[in-house]
Amino acid sequence: MTSEKIVEVSDVSLAYRRTRHRVSSLKQTAIDTIKRRMSYEEFFALNGVSFDIARGETVSVIGRNGAGKSTLLKVIARVLPPTKGQVIVRGQVAPMIELGAGFNTELTGAENIVLYGTLLGRTPREMRSRIEAIADWAGLTEHLDIPIRAYSSGMAARLAFATATDTTPDLLLVDEILSVGDEDFREKSAARTIEIMNSGCAVLLVSHDLETVKRMSTRAVYLDQGRQKISGNPIEVVEAYLSDVHH
Amino acid sequence: MKVYDSSVRQIPVISQVKSIYENRGLLRLLVVRDLTVRYKRSVIGVWWSLLNPLFTTAVMFYVFNTVFKARLPGGSPFLPYLLSGVLLMTFFNQGLTLGADAIATGAGVLTKVYVRPEIFAASAAISSAINFAIGLAPLTVVLAIYHKTPTWRFPLVLVVMFCMILFTTGLSLMLAIAYVNFDDSRSLINIFLMALQYMTPIFYPISVLGPHTRDVIQLNPLTSFLQVFRREFGNSAVSTIHNWEIMVGTSFLTFIIGFYVFNARWPKVVAKL
Repeated sequence: MTSEKIVEVSDVSLAYRRTRHRVSSLKQTAIDTIKRRMSYEEFFALNGVSFDIARGETVSVIGRNGAGKSTLLKVIARVLPPTKGQVIVRGQVAPMIELGAGFNTELTGAENIVLYGTLLGRTPREMRSRIEAIADWAGLTEHLDIPIRAYSSGMAARLAFATATDTTPDLLLVDEILSVGDEDFREKSAARTIEIMNSGCAVLLVSHDLETVKRMSTRAVYLDQGRQKISGNPIEVVEAYLSDVHH
Repeated sequence: MKVYDSSVRQIPVISQVKSIYENRGLLRLLVVRDLTVRYKRSVIGVWWSLLNPLFTTAVMFYVFNTVFKARLPGGSPFLPYLLSGVLLMTFFNQGLTLGADAIATGAGVLTKVYVRPEIFAASAAISSAINFAIGLAPLTVVLAIYHKTPTWRFPLVLVVMFCMILFTTGLSLMLAIAYVNFDDSRSLINIFLMALQYMTPIFYPISVLGPHTRDVIQLNPLTSFLQVFRREFGNSAVSTIHNWEIMVGTSFLTFIIGFYVFNARWPKVVAKL
């Protein structure tokens, strides 16, 4: 079953109402409502996007800032239900997110490995059995029993990376290939990401690094203002994107 | 193999509660985390979480008992009455703000990883309930000072705790939406919580109030929670079946409304972040 579809995105749109003027205070909202100045507009973050990813494929999504790339990641990570269309995802999803966001500085390294891994969708029992292996890979075995607040930022990032990548998912969501820590660890972490990407899972890669997109992906999708402008061969898609940007 | 199909309709409230149940491993971890951070890491341990309510009670006792010479009807002792009020109010404030804070500050993760944020609200309510239960120990000591013991009905306090968990979980979900949408909602909620504190008979007996004020205070659901708790634990207040009805009714209703509102509003928050 090499052509097994892991992700199927069919005609997906995501619309929401947003205020014309960005309002973020209750006071301003109240004043605007009373003065009837509140006006909304329907905003399409995604508009009729369709593609799929089979096992072993890497599909890249490129586009300008605000083109809908992160919204697409949210829809596929099932954090955000689409307004229209259908998303099907089969199997375990592992997102590579900004590291350490799920950490609690008062807990020890070991406790954080379990908590963070469980937040990312694994079971506490599974995570407990992986503590040593993860700490070993991050080179933090001696620091497992002290609270994270005593870690340097590089150590915390290493622990987070090791925890997040300690799995071979069915679908890997990558928002820019991360490399963290000092020079040695940076190479090690980039290599690990690429190793997972090549492990046979499906990968959705969102990146501004067009060279990586051309080199790593089987197909690419170019999003422009929520619409899928062109998709297919990554080299052609990148060229189409570049010629738009330079105009 | 787990399959996610976005076109499968999810029934609000039911699907959310089911998801919390399915992720009870994470729920347990979050509760343990809250308690660990509070107890294990501090020298005085469990006493740390009791320090705040006990100190508040001491100050209020001095002000109202010694300065204002407050007396309860029928000569009931003031201290157990006051301490029960402070403990329950701490439970409420803590569950509400911890839950909303956890969701608001966790938004970075919650918008990228599929974890139901409702689990954070529930864990905050449950760990506040455990802190409250620990506070029943000093309350028992205080009752003993006045030669009283908990009543044989004290297991009913578990029902009060369960209702309070439902009540604060529902409210904190709605509060979380406000926190994320409006920068100034935090200061407003603090003023509101202060007003609510005075509208709950923590340090005064209901009987000193005029008939109109009394009606208003009785409409505050926390009054019913508190009167039921006081009566069932230490027999330090009078409660009616009406108080039970308000307590159980508002807690279930608030829980359902909170989950429903959150389910409808959260995707819009995520879309904008």
